[in-house]
Amino acid sequence: MAKKEYDTFVLTDPALVPQDKEMEMILRDLTPSDRRYKYRSFFASAMVSRNEKKYPDKLWIRLGRGQLQEKPWSVKILKEANKFQ
Amino acid sequence: MAGYPIYKDNREFIKGLEKYGELVTVKQEVDWDLEMGAIVRRVCEKKLPSPYFKKIKDYPGFEAFGAPLATYKRLAIALGMDPDSTVPQIADEYVRRTSSEPIHPVVVDKKKAPCKQHVLLGKDADLFKLPGPMVHDGDGGRYLCTWHFVVSQDPDNGMINWGMYRQMVFDEKTMVGPVLPFSDMGKMFYGKYVPRNKPMPFASVISCDPLAGVAACAPSPIPEDQFTGMLMGKPIEVVKCETCDLEVPAHAEIIIEGDVIPNLTIEEAPFGEYTGYRTSPREPRTVYRVKAITYRDNPIMAVSNMGVPTDEGQLLRSFSLGLEMRKLLESQGIPITGVFMLPESTHHLVVVGVKPAYTGIATQIANLIYGSKLSPWFHMVIVVDDQTDIYDKDEVIHALSTKCHPITGIHKYENAPGTPLNPFASPEDRRWSKGAKVLFDCTFPLNWPKSDVPIKVAFNTVYPKEIQEKVLTNWKKYGFKD
Repeated sequence: MAKKEYDTFVLTDPALVPQDKEMEMILRDLTPSDRRYKYRSFFASAMVSRNEKKYPDKLWIRLGRGQLQEKPWSVKILKEANKFQ
Repeated sequence: MAGYPIYKDNREFIKGLEKYGELVTVKQEVDWDLEMGAIVRRVCEKKLPSPYFKKIKDYPGFEAFGAPLATYKRLAIALGMDPDSTVPQIADEYVRRTSSEPIHPVVVDKKKAPCKQHVLLGKDADLFKLPGPMVHDGDGGRYLCTWHFVVSQDPDNGMINWGMYRQMVFDEKTMVGPVLPFSDMGKMFYGKYVPRNKPMPFASVISCDPLAGVAACAPSPIPEDQFTGMLMGKPIEVVKCETCDLEVPAHAEIIIEGDVIPNLTIEEAPFGEYTGYRTSPREPRTVYRVKAITYRDNPIMAVSNMGVPTDEGQLLRSFSLGLEMRKLLESQGIPITGVFMLPESTHHLVVVGVKPAYTGIATQIANLIYGSKLSPWFHMVIVVDDQTDIYDKDEVIHALSTKCHPITGIHKYENAPGTPLNPFASPEDRRWSKGAKVLFDCTFPLNWPKSDVPIKVAFNTVYPKEIQEKVLTNWKKYGFKD
């Protein structure tokens, strides 16, 4: 099965993002099964790595003004959090 | 009867634009993911006719209409005027209509409201069922609401507000967007609903008739539902929402209803903004939760694309901000010849023409308009004398660069309200909406001896009338075309 792809906005220096530690983040789904849902955002508990191959899914990094970083990271989503219940 | 043609919805307006060659119908399928935005962007930059998209990828049955009012010609058509009307003619007509008595909307039955042809409630009210475009690459999300307005109501005095507050789709039920504290809705929500921890009902109106859009852009103290009636010369038809008591234009294409949630924020942005930059940071912003979506058969989305000039936000906001300043200055008896805000300035620079009747008149003008509620949205005032055509950029630049003393002609205002969207502001200033203002006084001081005042050297100032007439009469005989 093809890897799923997500992106996230990093508002600080990407080098400061903790690796391999569970944290809450906002992800956007770039490869939904129904294309109408592309860019759907959600809160997730996840672990990330700068190593593209470490976790199951691909994670693209964008900076605060939308600048896409050249190399993707990888992400493991532990659970989706619903902030509205 | 208004005495001029009025378009009750965008469908009629689209036909009107087509009649005057201001529409391109795009029959080929376009992708909501960047392609549609890129087309609209290029249309704005090249000042081309509005694109009317007949097929949108993934969304059969939906259509879209881009850059609806991005030129003065389209504004003239929307007002039912001659499409070739000049900017001063459009301005005079706008001021005439909006200085009359307010015209209240009329409420129509839901059966007579096309915007109720489809009603989605509960789980069915899913934002991804609408073709919200990814407008620019790098935006924080899909901006469903770019040419629209948000309806809200003051909980104490019942005053209605229609304002353009951008809204980004977060998930199926959630939109997020900035609501600045000095905006009308910001004062209402943060001043009244949040302290009471009460959700504020809202309705986002997407693809309304063109004059309701003009009204929603205008910084007038008159409620926009009445202001629209003044522009139309007759009441706008409204209908009650499905989930709250708000009323929305009956002939709009798409309505999104729900609550603005107090004491909850979610990250929004970045977004390509009206300044022509992606400036304001991705930050926690106001949250809208959706309860209902209603729309017409084969709904037509409206899409604006903010960026470098000129889009309709820049053009209409400049137009109406300038004319509200004109009303303010005229109400104070200042002998102005006109006010014009250049759309290319992304509504940051306004030119005021005045008869320099007394010393300090330029400072008085700047103090008045910077002291008004209009001021957070702009920061440069150029005051020229009555010899300068305020609508002619060449003349204004000539006056600015020759008559404004680099030290004594420039007056700075610090610690003023600004917006987080100002590209020149520091990150800290953006965070606190801190701004600064400047006045460029391009009038010659009145205390100079008359013989020392420079004389403008132009065809119409240094030749006798009879010579001007002779030259103009013989112009084509000399061999010139125009």
